[in-house]
Amino acid sequence: MHYKIKNNKTQVNLHHKNDTALKREMQQVEAAKANPAQFDVLYENYFKSIFVFIYRRTGNEEVSADITSQVFLKALINIKKYEFKGVPFSAWLFRIAFNEINMYFRKNNANRIISLEQSNINQIVQEVQEEDNVQALERMIAALKQLDSDGIQLIELRFFEKRSFAEVGQIVGITENNAKVKVYRILDKLKKILQVNPKC
Amino acid sequence: MTDINFNIDKPDLPDEQINKHKDFKKLMHKYQTATKPLYKTPLYRYKNKRVFIIILLILLIMFIIIEVMEKKGEQPINPAIEEQTK
Repeated sequence: MHYKIKNNKTQVNLHHKNDTALKREMQQVEAAKANPAQFDVLYENYFKSIFVFIYRRTGNEEVSADITSQVFLKALINIKKYEFKGVPFSAWLFRIAFNEINMYFRKNNANRIISLEQSNINQIVQEVQEEDNVQALERMIAALKQLDSDGIQLIELRFFEKRSFAEVGQIVGITENNAKVKVYRILDKLKKILQVNPKC
Repeated sequence: MTDINFNIDKPDLPDEQINKHKDFKKLMHKYQTATKPLYKTPLYRYKNKRVFIIILLILLIMFIIIEVMEKKGEQPINPAIEEQTK
């Protein structure tokens, strides 16, 4: 089954950077590779977004602060291994954060938290269902709960955070095409869940 | 099925609250500790103190073995043989 991303014109990629910004960022990365003290610029630029990324998934301020600190420490230790792959440096940081969050959930057996705006749910309802209806939000939430954690994370990155497939792939550690295929499969699965269990 | 809690339209933390946790100096200190070569790190500062205890135990055992060997070396092997040679 093929899905088109609806409302494509109105969809804004919040994480897009133009070539000049990417070049400037690469210079900052190279400076940090040469001298770790120069990492402060990148730390300053991305601290908030990484913190928020983690906070939206853990819902706990102290835990988010710990994981954020761990993310930047790992980034600083491994920055010499970083290679530009066509996506912003932040995607690499988000990947580290993504892995750290998964490690946190594995260790602590805590419940995952999905933070989203109602408009995000409406978008995914439009993707999956023919028509919107009054109970769509509740049904969709129930259907999302039936996905496995990998599936829910892909949906979260793609639809709730509005990231490009390239970025989703970079964060999760798969190719862009693989990310597309997986997201469409999950949408398919959601549609089936909603069809089989209309009360869901 | 995953255990998930949904936070719908929950506002993010205010910037001041987030910035409270921002501390680049602390990060640099952690970085320097983490990347310091092992030979420059004092033994008792190892994250895993077991390593320090095991090294101490090995040294202690080696010391005891050497002491015992030395004592054995000082003692005559057989007093009867010593008398015959006289």
